[in-house]
This record gives sequence, structure tokens and C-alpha cells, in this order.
Amino acid sequence: MMPDERARVVAGVDAGTECVKAVIVGAGGRVEGRAVAPTRGYFQACVYEVLSAALDDAQRTESDLAGIGATGFAMGCVPGATLTATDAACHAAGAYHLIGQRMTLVNIGGRDPHLIAVALDGRRADARNVRRCAAGVGSFLMFTARHLDVLPTRLQELASVADKPAAVSSYCSVFSSTAILERLREGASREEIALGAMHSIAERIVELGGFEDPVYACGGVVEYFPGVVRALQTLLEREVRTVPDPIFTGALGAALKAMELAT
Amino acid sequence: MTGPALSSTATLRETMGSYYRSLGDADTAPVAWCSSVGPAELLRALGYRVFFPENHAAMLGAARTANRVMPIAHAQGYSQDICSYLTSDIGAYLAGETPLKAYGLTSVPRADVLVFNTNQCRDVRDWFEWYGRQWDVPVIGVRSPRSIDTVTDDDVEGVARQIEALVPTLEAVSGARLDGARLAQVVAISRECSHLWGACLGTAAARPAPFTFFDGTIQMGPAVVLRGMEEACAYYRSLLAELEERVRTRVAAVRGESLRLYWDGMPLWGRLRALATNFAEFGTAVVASTYCNSWIFPDLDADDPIRSMARASLNLFIARSEEPKEQYIERMVRQFDVDGIVFHDCRTCPNNSNTRYAMPQRLSKRLGIPSLVLDGDVNDLRCYSDEQGRTNIEGFVEQLADTRASRRGA
Ligand code: SF4
Repeated sequence: MMPDERARVVAGVDAGTECVKAVIVGAGGRVEGRAVAPTRGYFQACVYEVLSAALDDAQRTESDLAGIGATGFAMGCVPGATLTATDAACHAAGAYHLIGQRMTLVNIGGRDPHLIAVALDGRRADARNVRRCAAGVGSFLMFTARHLDVLPTRLQELASVADKPAAVSSYCSVFSSTAILERLREGASREEIALGAMHSIAERIVELGGFEDPVYACGGVVEYFPGVVRALQTLLEREVRTVPDPIFTGALGAALKAMELAT
Repeated sequence: MTGPALSSTATLRETMGSYYRSLGDADTAPVAWCSSVGPAELLRALGYRVFFPENHAAMLGAARTANRVMPIAHAQGYSQDICSYLTSDIGAYLAGETPLKAYGLTSVPRADVLVFNTNQCRDVRDWFEWYGRQWDVPVIGVRSPRSIDTVTDDDVEGVARQIEALVPTLEAVSGARLDGARLAQVVAISRECSHLWGACLGTAAARPAPFTFFDGTIQMGPAVVLRGMEEACAYYRSLLAELEERVRTRVAAVRGESLRLYWDGMPLWGRLRALATNFAEFGTAVVASTYCNSWIFPDLDADDPIRSMARASLNLFIARSEEPKEQYIERMVRQFDVDGIVFHDCRTCPNNSNTRYAMPQRLSKRLGIPSLVLDGDVNDLRCYSDEQGRTNIEGFVEQLADTRASRRGA
């Protein structure tokens, strides 16, 4: 490979409330490296950590970067960003790059799930967030895991064998968290509660309305808790497909936008 | 513990059942939808079958169907923060669900005209307009003043003129002419029903109370949907007899009644039984309420039907400003000799929530009795926490007992 060709990579960073994600994207929008780390402490430190790890994964160095696209809650904390763009725009761009058609995209990140109408040309035509009270789904799942006394990653395993979801309110994350304690006290099984928590998130999304086929889902919650997508499918009574590598969709979109700017 | 069930309830079921079934005979009469305190007497006088969507929404709440169907209305763009009666009802319609299926109907009866009165809120109008667009039928009504200090003759005149202005459309839709004598007769029956219902509620001033607010929310059915019909009067005559007998023989609705409360605000339909049990467990009877008393219309007068209907709709608690509302509650507190007031802060109905401009604080001070604010909702059960509710009730009862003990000590 020629040195100048190797130089044409960009990074995309999605600095979210629960996880910071980075991808390294090369020619043709091919993902060469990726990394994710839980959000903790200062965002800048997390960004530095994932960016280095993604470059390592791609066997690249910082000097190979022609640009850095940033998105997510803390996009302003990405040092050296050549471009910043909103969650909705980046997720639309990332999903469109992989799927190549118009779609309704449900991005379920740690903060506020939102619905993005992705147009025929890949642009975001419309975007809608869940109500303010219904946001904070990532922290809500962490809370659920803590009270079920399991690692968050085990929630999915539990939910997948539940016969039915426990009734966990969907009005707001605080009410829902209290409901989890009540169900625990009443003796509901951990499996039912795990599934109930996923239904609670799906219900908040269903209320957004405006779903047109095909419906795709992406975001960190989708990556780690695919039960939420299944719950969504049940409630919507329509197929909901998952974007490949759903946690990186936003970072990919940010990278693609940075690449456009660099060329 | 709650006391024995009222034996009149069997007749109540029959009375309500035959009303719901009659809504299915829409071929024989035109159908008008009417807001709960809209001009029902006028509609009946013109031969309409009258359907009350708020009653339907309450059924959806009580059956706990509401939370399943509300998201369908939310997805249409109707906010979670507006009337959950509206969102339950529209959601149920779109889902093809109705509790009326138990009475042989496949859906809510299709309206030929929808008639609102905004004396209670704007939501009823928005709600009716949704159906008006759906079915392409007229939506008409009375745009009433709200937050009224003193009801003046001008206010009455203005609303009376608006009621009169409904007549041409109502006549055109029904094909009938308004007969003044018939209207006077319906108003007289309505007045009689309201008087009997008021007498039933009044029996709870006795100690122990023969029935509670929670029973009242069920027993009030005929006063809401059969206003102006003889069946409602017949039912309340028999209920009144049973309640008076209970008072005579000291049959208590709450065994060992020791504390008595007043309830302001909407019921939480999906939690009626649970709340009735919560209070009864602590020997506490909720003996009177703004809600059940809102279907008493002493202003109705067969000699002046339209103006008296206008006056009744303006004098209604919900249409008044803070001071007359406080005076009203004060009268009720004295009449029913209660130890405290429960205010339900209904998340989606600010119109029936009197907690948001410091009324509980003012009244507690003025009357020297404690009050409790329960956060909840009329239909959206996600806004109510059973746990928090129970803990609050428990703490409140404890406080009331202390207050009473210290009063006695003083
Ligand atoms: S008064 Fe409240 S509950 Fe009744 S229709 Fe209006 S907003 Fe809804």
C-alpha cells in the first residue's frame, strides 16, 4: 500500500453518557479499527483512551489521521476534532452507509432514545426524542442490574429466559426504578424483572409513533441488550432489524462526515 | 377493613347495563356525545341517545385497559401530559377496543353530533374534535368562562344564549323540533335525580358513614349517564332507602371507623379498590368528595330550563376560582365532620387538581386540619406509585391520629 493511501483514514468518536466509542475509517468507508470504553471521569481522558485503542486496532498512528469527526453528548470534549455533528445526523449517516436505503432508525443510546427518519439519500429527514422524563435509559438499566445483583451484561441473558415481563412503568426512569424495587419485594423473578426493564424502554420508544418500514435499530443499548429490540418488535407488531455493530453507528457516521470534509 | 357490600349494586349493574345496551340501538335514535356536564337535558329532550365519553374513559381506566391503549394516541402526537381520558379513549378507538363489548356493542356508538362544554377544560373539545374529523360530523358546544368568582346574571345570560344557539344544529341533525314542555320535563327529572343523589351522598355525614367516596364513584353512574331519565331517579330512591337503613342500624362502610377524610380531585380509576383497602386498613373512611358532589345541580329549574342549565354549569366547582372552591370545601369539611383532606394531584388533569396554587396549605391553615397530596393520575397508572401512595397514607393517618389526640389533650 502506498504511504499516501494509508494516510487517508479518519476517526469518528461518539462520546456518549454511558460509553465512548471510536472507529477508524479508511478508503470507501471501510472500518479498520474500533474501540469502546465505559464513560467515567473526564470525557477527554475517555476519548484519548478509545482513540488510541481504535488506532491500535487498525494498526495506525495518530499521524495517519486526516480528520476526526465527533458526535454524542460530549462531542465538544473530543480534542482535535475537525468536525462535530449531532447524534441524529451521524447515526443516520452511519446506518445509511451500511444499509443503503431509506429507513426508520431507532437509536437507543444510554441517554435519550430517538427516532430518525432516514431519507432516500441518507440524510436525516426528521428526528424525534423521547420525552425528557423517559430519558436516561442507560442509567436505568445499570440500576436494574445493580438491584438484580448481576453484571449489566447478564441482564440480557436473564431476560431471554423470562416467561413474561414484570410490570415496570415506562413514564419516567425514576418511577421505573422504584417499580423495580417494588417488584423485587413482591418476589418477581430476576428474569421477569430484566425483561420488564427492557419492555419499559421499548414502550417509551413506541410512544414516539411514526414508524415506517423498514425499521432498524442501533445504539449501545441495542448492542448489549438486544432484548429491547425484541420487545420493540413485539409492541410494534413489525420487524425491527439491527444495524451491524450497532454501538458504533454514530461514530461511523461522524467519521464519514469527517472524511467528506477532508476530501 | 371494608364493610359489607351495598345490596343495591345488583340493581345498579342492571340499570347501567340496560343504558349501555340501549346505545347499541342507534338505528332507532340519533346519537349525541356529551361532555360530563354538558347540556344533556337538551339532547334528551330532542330525542338523542346520549353517550358520555368521560364515562367510557373511566371504564377503560377501571378495567386497566387504559395504559395499554394510551401509547397509540401518544404516537399520534397527543402528549402524555394532556388528559389521559382523551388519550385512553382515542387509543382504545384506534385499537378497536371498548368495554362496551360486554354489552353487545362492537365499538363506541358513532356520533351524529358531539356537544361539549368547556366549563371543565379545553380537552373535551379537542377530544370531540378528533371524532368530529374522524366521522365528519358537527362538533358544537358552549365555550364557558372559567375560574369564576361570583356567577353573575351576565355570565348566565351569555351561556344561556350559547345553549340556545346549539338548538338549530341539534334540530337539523335529529330532525326533531325542540318542545319546550318536554325540555322542562327532562330538566325536572334531572333536578330530581340530582336531589336524590345529593341525599344519598349526605347520608355519609352519619357516624359511621354507610358508604365511602370509593363506593360513590361507582354509585354515581346513573347520575352521570342517565341524567334526565326516570331510571336514574328510581335507582337513587332505592339506594337512598338502603343507605338510610344502614345509618339507622349503624352499618359501617369501614369497620371500626375512627378517622374521616374528604377527597378532592379525580379518582384513580385503576386503583379504586386498592386505595379503598389502604384507607380502610387504617380504620379511615373517606366520607365525602368534590368529585361525587359535582353531579348535584340544585340550580336546575323546570320553570326556566335553559337559564337554569346555564347557571348550573357555571356554579360547578371546577369552573370556579380558588376562593369559592375553598369555601365549598370548608362547607363540606364541616358538614361531614372530617379529620383531614386528601388532595389528588392528577398528573394529566390540572383542571381537577387543586394542589398547584397552594390550596392545601391555605385550607389546612384555615380549617386547622391536615391535608395530604397524593401524586397520581385518573387513568395513567404510570404516574402513581402504590408503594409511595401507601407510605404516604400510612404517615398521614398517623399524623391525623396525633393531631386528634393533641386536640383532645388541649
Ligand atoms: S376535566 Fe380533566 S379528566 Fe376531565 S376531560 Fe377535562 S382534562 Fe380530562
